[in-house]
Amino acid sequence: MFARHMFNPEGFKNTVVDGKTVGFQFDFKIQYYRGVTLSIIRNIEVWVDGEGFNREDIRFTLEGETFTLEEMRTVIDYRWKFGQWATVTVLKDGGLSKGPHHIKCTQTIAPSYMPHILVNSGEYDFVIE
Amino acid sequence: MDYKIGRSVSLYSYQEEYYLGKMNLEDCIREVSKTGATGIELLAEQMVDDFPVITPEFKDQWFGWMDKYGTEPTCYDAFLENHIYDNRTLTLKEQIKMMERDIKIAGELGFKTLRTLVSTPMDVIEGSLGCAEANNVKICIEVHSPFSLNSGWADGYMNMILKTGTKYFGFMPDWGIFAKRIPDVARDQARRKGAHEECIKLVDDEFAKRCERGFVKIKYDLNLGKANMEFMKANGFFDMMEKIEKMNGNEADKAYAGDSFTYTWNDPQDIIDNIQYIYHTHAKCYNTHEDYTETSIPIPEVIEAYKKAGYHGFVSTEYEGNRLINDAFDVDSVEQVRRHQEALRRAIEG
Repeated sequence: MFARHMFNPEGFKNTVVDGKTVGFQFDFKIQYYRGVTLSIIRNIEVWVDGEGFNREDIRFTLEGETFTLEEMRTVIDYRWKFGQWATVTVLKDGGLSKGPHHIKCTQTIAPSYMPHILVNSGEYDFVIE
Repeated sequence: MDYKIGRSVSLYSYQEEYYLGKMNLEDCIREVSKTGATGIELLAEQMVDDFPVITPEFKDQWFGWMDKYGTEPTCYDAFLENHIYDNRTLTLKEQIKMMERDIKIAGELGFKTLRTLVSTPMDVIEGSLGCAEANNVKICIEVHSPFSLNSGWADGYMNMILKTGTKYFGFMPDWGIFAKRIPDVARDQARRKGAHEECIKLVDDEFAKRCERGFVKIKYDLNLGKANMEFMKANGFFDMMEKIEKMNGNEADKAYAGDSFTYTWNDPQDIIDNIQYIYHTHAKCYNTHEDYTETSIPIPEVIEAYKKAGYHGFVSTEYEGNRLINDAFDVDSVEQVRRHQEALRRAIEG
């Protein structure tokens, strides 16, 4: 719904922990018109250059706390605010290669009052330096 | 009839600029006051950072802004998140607790009405009436298209009002029920997505026919999906889709056709008939032109009904056209709200 403004252009990078590149990360905003508890975010899917990733390898970080998608199912005291950047980290040994890439990402959001679940996606071209 | 129609703005209207970080909550309130409106409607889940906690600091700031900008709180828009977990629906007790949480926040921030969504179960509303009375907040079910007043659906709630005799529950119409045309910005967006002119014309013609002969109204059903399906069937949705299929319509054609069923036209007499139970109003708008006409909603005709009815309450601008243009264009919610407020002012004072 705000697909043109979903990604933070500055947020794309490889994730390095203790000198080891464990994956890559990016920042994005919710594709919905209000903030929700993390339990309402039912799935996040990521494809880079057409390659998909396992649900188990996705981490969601908000205000310094990191959750797996499975853990998010019960999180009701953290809210992803409307317009707030959250960070997604995708675990992938070695991260992404240097150079240009294309990302597609979907957010599956289930507002209680809606008869259907929202699956909103955004795409973006970025460069890993 | 003696009437007193106040002008309000739902800050939902400024969601695009807020989302992009161009406006904060105070900026939104300041823009409302610049239009001459005096009422503020709020989605706390959209613009209050610490929701559902209302800190003393926030409360001070909130009432400080109301003083500074000469505004007053009108309606608090609640969302009953009764599927907060993916594996079950909250129990009645849990849902009432959540509803009461919102009623208390609304009361604490000075709101006189609380919007609840059409999906709110009747027993949750009934169970919250005591809290509503204690906090002097009227719970209003949003009459959002395709739902309507003077319908089987509304009768379900009217029976509850009559049964309980409550003064703390009523209706708040959303002017999507007074859409005489599909918004021009929706049509243009369909074109951008690749819809065919002949399919667009068919959908527009079918909509005009529904307006002319009158929509078959929606019935009350706990299963909203079922109620909506019956409504669409009774109003010719499947016949129309068949025609679109025969014309080899694409996804954009079908989406435009489907979306056309989210708009309805009802006789504004519905407002007059139900005025005793109407405590707030969403003055929905999609695109207000430079000449102060709204693309879908005949504002003077609708306001006339509120005048005749002797309405004492607010009409609150709810600009929702952003999503019909933001795939391709920047959104100027401030200007859209300004124009809409001017259109309301002319209709009310005219």
